[in-house]
Amino acid sequence: MSERTLSFVLPLASAAVIALAWQLTVQFGDIREIILPAPSAIAEKLLRTMPSLLDQAVVTGREALAAFALAVAAGFVGAATISSSKILREIFYPAIVTLQLIPKVALAPLFVIFLGIDHEARVTFAALLSFFPVLISTAVGLNNTDLSALRLCRSFGASPWRTFWSVRVPFALPHFFSGVRISSTMAVTGIVIAEFISAKEGLGFAILAAGARSQTAAAFAAIAVLCILGLALYGAVAGLERLAIRWYRG
Amino acid sequence: MTALPFAPDTPVDAAADTGAIAPPRWLRWSKIRPVLLPLLFAVAWLATWQWGVERFPQTRSVLSSPSEIGAILGRSMPLLLPQLASTAREALMGFALATVVGIALGAAITLSRRLEQALFPHLVLFQIVPKIALAPLFVIWFGVGGETRLVFALFLAFFPIAAATAGGLARTRPEALRLCTALTASRWRTFIAVRVPFAIPSLFAGLKIGMTMALIGTIVGEFVTGQQGLGYMIMFAAANADSALTFAALALLCVVGLAVYATVVLAEIVAQRWYGAPFVTEGFN
Repeated sequence: MSERTLSFVLPLASAAVIALAWQLTVQFGDIREIILPAPSAIAEKLLRTMPSLLDQAVVTGREALAAFALAVAAGFVGAATISSSKILREIFYPAIVTLQLIPKVALAPLFVIFLGIDHEARVTFAALLSFFPVLISTAVGLNNTDLSALRLCRSFGASPWRTFWSVRVPFALPHFFSGVRISSTMAVTGIVIAEFISAKEGLGFAILAAGARSQTAAAFAAIAVLCILGLALYGAVAGLERLAIRWYRG
Repeated sequence: MTALPFAPDTPVDAAADTGAIAPPRWLRWSKIRPVLLPLLFAVAWLATWQWGVERFPQTRSVLSSPSEIGAILGRSMPLLLPQLASTAREALMGFALATVVGIALGAAITLSRRLEQALFPHLVLFQIVPKIALAPLFVIWFGVGGETRLVFALFLAFFPIAAATAGGLARTRPEALRLCTALTASRWRTFIAVRVPFAIPSLFAGLKIGMTMALIGTIVGEFVTGQQGLGYMIMFAAANADSALTFAALALLCVVGLAVYATVVLAEIVAQRWYGAPFVTEGFN
């Protein structure tokens, strides 16, 4: 087999081996379903409860998308503002880096106080979590523009606006998208944490409720749907990244 | 920061140098500005916050003023310190275990090219999916005690560390490896003397993420187990609409977060000194 096929087949094969070992351990190791359900039991649960799981997934997915969109927009505008002047950068950059380091997850209960237990609280919390990766990596990207390109713009008398869109943004795109990719995973994580704390619906709530009733198979089924949701969002971002970079290269 | 040939600071500095009463080097405006501006910003932020809460007292139930938070922080220290110790202990132990297991397994899968091809994609995949969602299952498996929070922190911190170790070790420069083969260095010697130094920047990038994840894991674990720790304090105080106590616990948590992160950064500096930084950092960005 060629290297290319191997790098495709081997991960799938190892996943199959792990799933098989899991199945056999549970079946012959006499492990109770409450502790660890077999993959077959999870799949069966998944298929049987698919309609209600999909409803929950729509709730979670919509909130995660809203938070993600907010975070990317705010992060981009914020980064553009900060990197537009040296003074602004010096004022805000230390504060942003500090905020990036502290565990913002702990703010979740605060959002319940501020915004109640509805969508707004969850979306705002997830947007806050996923805002910082975009902000920081875009700011780094915008500051890393090739100096000779900037000098060229200056000698052509290009306006700052034109320089920004035609030179700084294309140079920043790889950084921007690496932030956006992290942000897409943070948006889903944020919604799930917020649902643990406040929700009455959504996949995070379904997992918590199933866990509290020791319905482990149901929890795993909801987690599987959540993973697919997270991967879909991440995949969409990765696809967009390819398109955007190809478009800018012409 | 890259030095521009036409950097705006240069003429100012030159003028200051020729002045009759030139200030000492460390007192120059261009030197103190990057420190002074963020501090002034922080002070202005706190002052606005204080003024806003005093001006609009009806916000007090949801937002306390900085002075109230400071007062509560001082008064509730005996209550908060044990919680802080619990959170810090569980996060650090989870991180330490994740470091040992993550580095060992990350290094183990790079021993064989096939093994790496088979397992590395899974490490990457687990980085992307929302692992946080597994928290309620850990309660089923380990109960509501400290083990749950510790193991959950270990679980979250493991993946970035293992992926960064494996990725760093796999990306050793081929020239360096070929040189080792030509000099008939043993596998073990090559690993210690060449692969590990090349992997250090990537490894520490993973450790930094791992440390943050360990703390996040502990806090989310405290949310779902609800027994002790700063995360529990925050949730408890927030549920009682005691915003001053919530913010006080949050402030302590920020201190913990910054302290543990600084420890990892310090370890990175030591490791880079040890192995020689310029050689190590080359080729990674």
